[in-house]
Amino acid sequence: MLEITDLATSYGKIEALKGVSLSAKAGEVTCLLGPNGAGKSTLMLTLAGILKPQRGSVTFEGEQLVGKTPAEIVARGMALVPENRLVFPALTVRENLAAGAYKRRDAAGIRDDIDAMFSRFPRLRERTAQLAGTLSGGEQQMLAVARALMSRPRLLLMDEPSVGLAPLVVAEIFTIIRQLHAEGVSIFLVEQNANMALKVAQHFYLMEQGRVSFSGTPGELADDDVIQRAYLGHKRGPSPDAAART
Amino acid sequence: MSDRIHSASAAASGVNGTLAQAMRDALCHLPGVGSAAGVHAVGLASDMAIMSLLALSAYLMLLVGRVSFGQQAFFGLGAYASGVMSAMFHAPLGLALAAGAAFGALCSWLIALPTLRLSGLHYAVATLAFGEMARVGLSAWHWQIPGEDGPVGPAGIDGFRDIRWLLENNVAPIEYLVLTLLVLLFVLGLLMQTERLRLGVGLRMIGQDDTLAAAQGIAVERVRLFAAAISGGLAALGGGLYAHRTTYIEPAVFDPMLGVHAVGYALLGGLGTAFGPLLGVALDLGLLDASRLLPGWRMVIFGGLVALFLRWRPRGLLDEALVHRLASHWRHLRSGRRTPSVSLPATRRTP
Amino acid sequence: MTAWVQTTIDGLLDGGSYAMVGLGLSLTFGSLRRLNLAYGATAMLAAYIGAWLHARAQAPIWLVVIAMVLSATVIGWYVERLCFAGTHENGSLPQAAPVAGTDGREVVALASSFAVWMQLEQLAVNLLPRHLNPFPSLAASSEWTLGELLIRPDRLLVMVLAAALTLGLAAWLERSRTGLAWRAAADHRTAAHLVGMPVARLQTLAFSAACALSGVAAFAVLSIDAQVTPMFGMWVLLKGLVAAMLGGLGSIRGVLWGGLLLGVVEAHAQTLLGAQGREFATYALLFVVLTGPWWRGDRAWSGGLRA
Repeated sequence: MLEITDLATSYGKIEALKGVSLSAKAGEVTCLLGPNGAGKSTLMLTLAGILKPQRGSVTFEGEQLVGKTPAEIVARGMALVPENRLVFPALTVRENLAAGAYKRRDAAGIRDDIDAMFSRFPRLRERTAQLAGTLSGGEQQMLAVARALMSRPRLLLMDEPSVGLAPLVVAEIFTIIRQLHAEGVSIFLVEQNANMALKVAQHFYLMEQGRVSFSGTPGELADDDVIQRAYLGHKRGPSPDAAART
Repeated sequence: MSDRIHSASAAASGVNGTLAQAMRDALCHLPGVGSAAGVHAVGLASDMAIMSLLALSAYLMLLVGRVSFGQQAFFGLGAYASGVMSAMFHAPLGLALAAGAAFGALCSWLIALPTLRLSGLHYAVATLAFGEMARVGLSAWHWQIPGEDGPVGPAGIDGFRDIRWLLENNVAPIEYLVLTLLVLLFVLGLLMQTERLRLGVGLRMIGQDDTLAAAQGIAVERVRLFAAAISGGLAALGGGLYAHRTTYIEPAVFDPMLGVHAVGYALLGGLGTAFGPLLGVALDLGLLDASRLLPGWRMVIFGGLVALFLRWRPRGLLDEALVHRLASHWRHLRSGRRTPSVSLPATRRTP
Repeated sequence: MTAWVQTTIDGLLDGGSYAMVGLGLSLTFGSLRRLNLAYGATAMLAAYIGAWLHARAQAPIWLVVIAMVLSATVIGWYVERLCFAGTHENGSLPQAAPVAGTDGREVVALASSFAVWMQLEQLAVNLLPRHLNPFPSLAASSEWTLGELLIRPDRLLVMVLAAALTLGLAAWLERSRTGLAWRAAADHRTAAHLVGMPVARLQTLAFSAACALSGVAAFAVLSIDAQVTPMFGMWVLLKGLVAAMLGGLGSIRGVLWGGLLLGVVEAHAQTLLGAQGREFATYALLFVVLTGPWWRGDRAWSGGLRA
């Protein structure tokens, strides 16, 4: 569904993405792991059209997206739930949702979808007239997801949805990801929380310093020693020192 | 001759030349220095030096991150204060100028107390409001004492005439020009010296990011207040010089247009160095002079060019980046080396 | 007592002019978080074009109105492209040209709009070099009486028009899809991009609409005076700025209250302190409002466009 080939994006002289290639299959949850500063958010912003890449290509359902404006990208069925939520703080919850549906013209459909969002996220229904800037972090995350869903995307990009949230809220978020997956929404997820991601994703990539350094299934990810120690905090088998001493 | 200058320039500068017009009037009041061109050149140079002081006061505030549209108020207050000192209390010029500058510094500091905490735009509007309050206040101020040729002193909206210290003491325009330039040089020296001290660096840091500056241990509020006081003093000093040069000041001259021009000169000339505002003044007043050939189109062309130019160089001509480059070239020239590149020690050889 | 009411009424009627003139400025500021210093000059040049058409081409009033609104819109488009369009890149991220200083780009926009202000004013004065220029007159020849009170119907009409425009724009901002987009783009640029809004185009539209409104306001105000002078540009900017600021920059309904408040304060100041007192009171009011401890700087600066 989504093919990224040799994508490179720079901030001035700093190359944040050094030639990234990966793909996401339709109907799957694809997860990109990586430490801070690896370039994950840069990748997401490039996909959404906010940043312009220096080279490379992004094809979505066969269509080249590089060079398109963010508006055009949303119109083609790809929506981003950004890092730091980025809700409209001075607009109400309802207005945020309406804004998410900007590219749509079917007023009745939009209204129905807003009601559907309130059913899916009951906490938002309690706060429909509240200014989004006054919501808690978890509520803003729900709102950001709901807003992105309002455009009925075929591929949902999610940039670190669990960061800064309490464990209970994080569990809620991942439940929603599972629900969406079950409903047929394809999801491309960026995360630092590998443990939770292991429970929802079908394919993993690891990104370090602007490049993809690993691609595989959850099983392969769990089997890899380096990743285990670095990102999952487990040690499998005896340590090298202990082995040397015996 | 003076009539033609009046009408030509009045048409040329239109509404945005209240001060320019007043300066032109001044050119005709002071006794000539030989040729008309000589008078003109001396007058223009004096105008530019005086405006530079006002532009420097705006520049100082810009350094600490504030756009002030009220510097013309301190210019005017300084003009009136030093005029009062010299024309009504018969103080010598130096004392009058110093008193005016001190008064301007004090007023600026007082106004800065409630306004500096406002964010950029609101601060700009607050200073604009104060500027107008000062102008209207001066328009309503009447204080006259008996003088040799009749009452002397501020006469409200009709202004303050007969600030004639220079004439009474036979100071020729060229001598006054030299004095003005010396004052300007002194101020420039002070400012350049400050740049090397911690204070100068601190000023710029506050302008760039005051949260960060505070985290570095800089007393942001106090330094800003200090900068405001100094900038008020500079503007008032310029005002005092102006008052004595033109011998007649009126409140209408000290309108927002003057203050906005001052900010414009600083922004255009560049914020990287104290010479920036001078460059801005030179460009505008110099162009005003040169374009007497094109009366009525100076601002149309100049305004458009400035707007285009600012898109390319947002920090002005002499911006920090350029100043850094020039400074490092200068350093390398002085030490006889070319710009160094990273290189391995020359003695390394493969055996 | 009657005198006091009369003064208040006069103040309210004048306030209508101020509100109308401030509406475009508040809209621009709310939408772009930038002060357009060329705003007054835009209205002035449009007014001079109208006056020229009236005096030299004997144009009928309806043509003058259309010409003024159109020219204000076109001039506004020019100002926006030159001074404000490039101050945001597509998305507000480090990849955009960094200018040192948190207010760097705002200051640049201020400076270049000032330069264009000079440019436009001189163009206007070149068009009509005299100080006093006749303007088509819709001034009322007589006053209405309401008991002991006198009301000028032309000023009343301007005030009603001001209220209609302000409240109408506010309602449109709250209810329509484009109005929501204007507010969203003003609130958070990047988020607006992410939901697919064409932010640059929306802001250009809002800017042009604001300038069109300034053309309407200029016509309304000048048709009562029946003349226009080179001071008009500065007058529009200053009165509009005070009215907008009193109501909270970026708040559309606020401009109406701000303008009315300004008018009333000015009227009473004139009665008590004379013409200079009136002028002083305008600026003193603004200064006090801005620097008083009640000024919630954080909320006011959060800017954005609010109905």
